[in-house]
Amino acid sequence: METQNNKYDISFFKPTTELAKINRKLTLILLLIWGFAIFGFHIILRVIEKPTPEPAYISYSEVWDNVKTGKATVEENQIFVKSTLSVLGKLAMKPNDRLVLDKMVSSVMFSLIPSQNKEKFYNQVLEFNKIKTEITSLSDEKYVKLKTQIIEQTASVIGVEIFSLEAKLIPFELITENLKSVDVNNTPNVEAVMAKYLIHNQSFLTDMKFLGYPFHYFYTSVFLLVLFIGLCWVYCVRIDKIHERLGIDDTV
Amino acid sequence: MKKILLTSAFLSPAMLFANSAVELEGGFKLGPAIILITILVLFVLVGIVFRAKDTTDFYAAGRGISRVGSGMAIASNWMSAASFLGMAALMYGFGYHGLAYVIGWTGGYVLLLILMAGQIRKYGKYTAADFIGDRYYSKHLRLIGAIVAILISIAYCVGQFGGIGLLFKWVLGIDYTYAVLIGGAVVLTYTLISGMLGVTKNMQIQYIIIIISFLIPLFILTYKFDYFWLLPQIGYGSVVSDIVSGIPATEMGLLVNSYGHEFAITPSPEYAMPWDPASGQTFFQFMAIAFSLMIGTAGLPHVIQRFYVVPKARDARWSVVWGLFFISILYWSAPVYSAFGEILSTNREVGKLAKDAIVVYTAQLGNVHPLIVGLLAAGGVSAAFSTVSGLLIAGASAFSHDIYVKVLRPDSTPKQQLAMARLGTVLMAAIVSLIALLKLALIGQLVAIAFSLAGCTIFPLFLLGIWWSGSNRAGAKAGLIAGATVSLIALIYFVAGKQGIILPAHEFVSYWLGAWYFAWIGAPLAIVVNIVVSKMTKETPIEIKKFLVEKVHS
Repeated sequence: METQNNKYDISFFKPTTELAKINRKLTLILLLIWGFAIFGFHIILRVIEKPTPEPAYISYSEVWDNVKTGKATVEENQIFVKSTLSVLGKLAMKPNDRLVLDKMVSSVMFSLIPSQNKEKFYNQVLEFNKIKTEITSLSDEKYVKLKTQIIEQTASVIGVEIFSLEAKLIPFELITENLKSVDVNNTPNVEAVMAKYLIHNQSFLTDMKFLGYPFHYFYTSVFLLVLFIGLCWVYCVRIDKIHERLGIDDTV
Repeated sequence: MKKILLTSAFLSPAMLFANSAVELEGGFKLGPAIILITILVLFVLVGIVFRAKDTTDFYAAGRGISRVGSGMAIASNWMSAASFLGMAALMYGFGYHGLAYVIGWTGGYVLLLILMAGQIRKYGKYTAADFIGDRYYSKHLRLIGAIVAILISIAYCVGQFGGIGLLFKWVLGIDYTYAVLIGGAVVLTYTLISGMLGVTKNMQIQYIIIIISFLIPLFILTYKFDYFWLLPQIGYGSVVSDIVSGIPATEMGLLVNSYGHEFAITPSPEYAMPWDPASGQTFFQFMAIAFSLMIGTAGLPHVIQRFYVVPKARDARWSVVWGLFFISILYWSAPVYSAFGEILSTNREVGKLAKDAIVVYTAQLGNVHPLIVGLLAAGGVSAAFSTVSGLLIAGASAFSHDIYVKVLRPDSTPKQQLAMARLGTVLMAAIVSLIALLKLALIGQLVAIAFSLAGCTIFPLFLLGIWWSGSNRAGAKAGLIAGATVSLIALIYFVAGKQGIILPAHEFVSYWLGAWYFAWIGAPLAIVVNIVVSKMTKETPIEIKKFLVEKVHS
C-alpha cells in the first residue's frame, strides 16, 4: 500500500538516508566475510573430505574374513586383537559398541591362550570381573595382582609390551560369557563398529599442521574468533568515522 | 626433560597410590569451600554497596557504565556455566562438533553488533518486550514478548542451575538435589539484594575471577605435560595433534595423571575430525547449531538488555567489541580442558565422568593443587551466578515492567513495581530449580534451547523492527506465531523423546528440528511470514516510521 508516508520508509535494501546507504554497504561486506569464513569454509571442508581409514582398520580388514570364519592363524588373530584394542582404547566408544567388540575380542583372546592355561585364565578373568565391581580402592592388593597376572599372560600372547596401552586395556575388555566361543550373530556388528570408529572424514585441510594444530581445528577454534573480533573492530572504527563525516553525534 | 623430572619429583609413587585412587567427587572439600564462600560473600557485599535504589537502577543500572566496564559485564553475563563448564563438556563428548557451539556463541556477536546494538540503544527502551510493544504498537505483542522473554530466561537458567548444582555438589560433597536447592537459594538472595546496578558492578569483578580461575590451571597443565605453556591456547594445538596420532605408553611412564596412569592415548582422530561418525553428529547438525546459536545470540533478551545500560549508542557498539574480546579469552581456553581431559581420563580405571564437570575433573586428574582446583570450581560458580543474575533480572523485568506495569497496573507506584520485580525473581528461581532437578541434557545443550527459542521469536522481531519500517503489527504477530509453532513442535518432540514417548515421524522431526538448533528453519520462516503478512495488511503508522528515521537511523 503506497501512501504519503513513503519519505519515512526504512529498508535495509532500499536505504533512503545517507547513513543508511553507507551502513548497508559496510554491513553487507562484513556479513559476506563473516558468512564465507564460517559456512563457506565448512562447506569446502565437507566437499573435499574423503573417508580415511586408520592403519588399524587396514590391518583389521586384512584378517577379518579369516577371523570370523575361525580360519585365522595365530598371527592373524593377534593382528585382529590389536586392531580391536585400538578401538576399545578410544574414549568416544559407546557402551553398546564396546560390548560388541568385547565379546569378539574375548573369544579370540581365549583362543590364543595355550590350552594348559585356559581354565586358569578363565577363572582369573571371572574373578577379576567380580572383584573390580567390589573394590573401593584401585590399590586393592587382590585387584592389582589379578590385573597384573592377566596383563602379563595376554601381552605376550598377542605380542605387545606389558606397559603398552593395549596390554593395560585387556583386563577391562574381557567378558567371561563369550570367552570360550565366538558369537556368530555378533560378527556383522563388529564390522559396523570397526568402520564407525576407525574411518574418519579427512582432507589436506585436516592433515596439514599449523602451530601444532590440525589446520581446520586451528581455523575454527582460534582463527574464527580472532576474525569475529576483527570484524567488530572494523565496523566500530568505520561507523564512528562515518558518523563524524556526516555530522551525526551519537555520543550523547 | 627438565619438566618431566620436575613433574616426577612432585608426583612420587607414594603420593600417587597412598590413598588408592583420587576421589574425583569425594566429600566436603574445606579449601574449595572457603574460597567459594569468600567469593560469594564478596559478591553480596558488592551487591549491597551498589544496590538498586529505584526502578531505573534495578532495570538499567542508571546507564552509567563505561565501554570497557560494560564489555566486561557483557562477557561476565555471557560466560555462563555453559561457557565455563558446558563448552569443554561438548568437545569432550563430541570432539570437533563442539566447536559449532564455540563459533555459534561468538559469531553471533558480529550479527548483534552490525545489525542491532547501536540501533537498540538509540531506540531507548528498557526491555526486549518494551521495544516489541512500542515498535509494533501493540499491548498484546508486549505481553507475548514479555512471556517469551521469561520462557527464554527460564530455559537459559535451567542449564545454569544444573552447573551450580554440579559444582556445589563437588565442593560440599552433598547430593545433587540439595546442591541445586542451596545454590539456587544463594543466587536468588544475591540477585534480590543487589538488582542490576549491583549485578553490573559484580559482573566486572566476576569476570576477573572467572578468567583468572579458568586460566591458571591451563598454564599448570601445559607446563606439567611438556607443551608450550606460555600461551596454552596455542600450545594445546600439539595436544590435539597428539590425540589424533596417539601417544604411546613408555616403559618409564614418568608423566602420569592423579591415578598414576601414564599420559598416553590410543590414536583418536575422531576427537578432531569434522562430523566424525563416532561422534554421532552430522555436517547438517554442525551448520544448523552454529547458525541457530548465532541468531539466538542476537535475540536473547538479557544480552540485548545489556545495551540499555551503556550511556551512548557509540558505547553500546564498542562494548560489544570489548565484550567479544573478553568472551573469546575464555572460548580460546575451554577446548584446552577438553583436550587434556581426553588424554587424562582415557584409562578405563578412571571410569565414566560427568561431562559437564570435565573442567574440574581435568584439573584434578592433572594433579593441579586442590586449592587451585577449588578456585576453578569457584570460578565456575561465579560464571553461573553472573549469568543467572542477569537472566533473573531480565525475567523479573519482563514480569514486572512489561506485564504488571504496562499491561496490568499502569498506575502502580515504584515501590509496588520493585516488589513485583522481586516476586518475579523468586517465582522464576523456584521454577528453574525444579526443572534443573530433572537433568534433561548437558548444560550447553540446555542453553542452546534458549538460543533457538530466541532465534525463532525475538530475533526476527528485532531484525525487521529495526531494518524495515514496513514490518507492522499484523506481520509481527504472524511471524511470531510461525516461529513459536516451530519452537513448540521441536520442544514437544524433545520432551516426549526424553519421556520415552514416540510421536509420529519422531526420528525425522527430532533430526531436522533438533532441540538445540530448530532456529535454523524457525527464524527464516518467521521472517518470511512477517514480511508477507506485513505486505498484505495495513502499513506501519507514520509516527513509528518517523521515529525510526529520525532517532534510530540518523
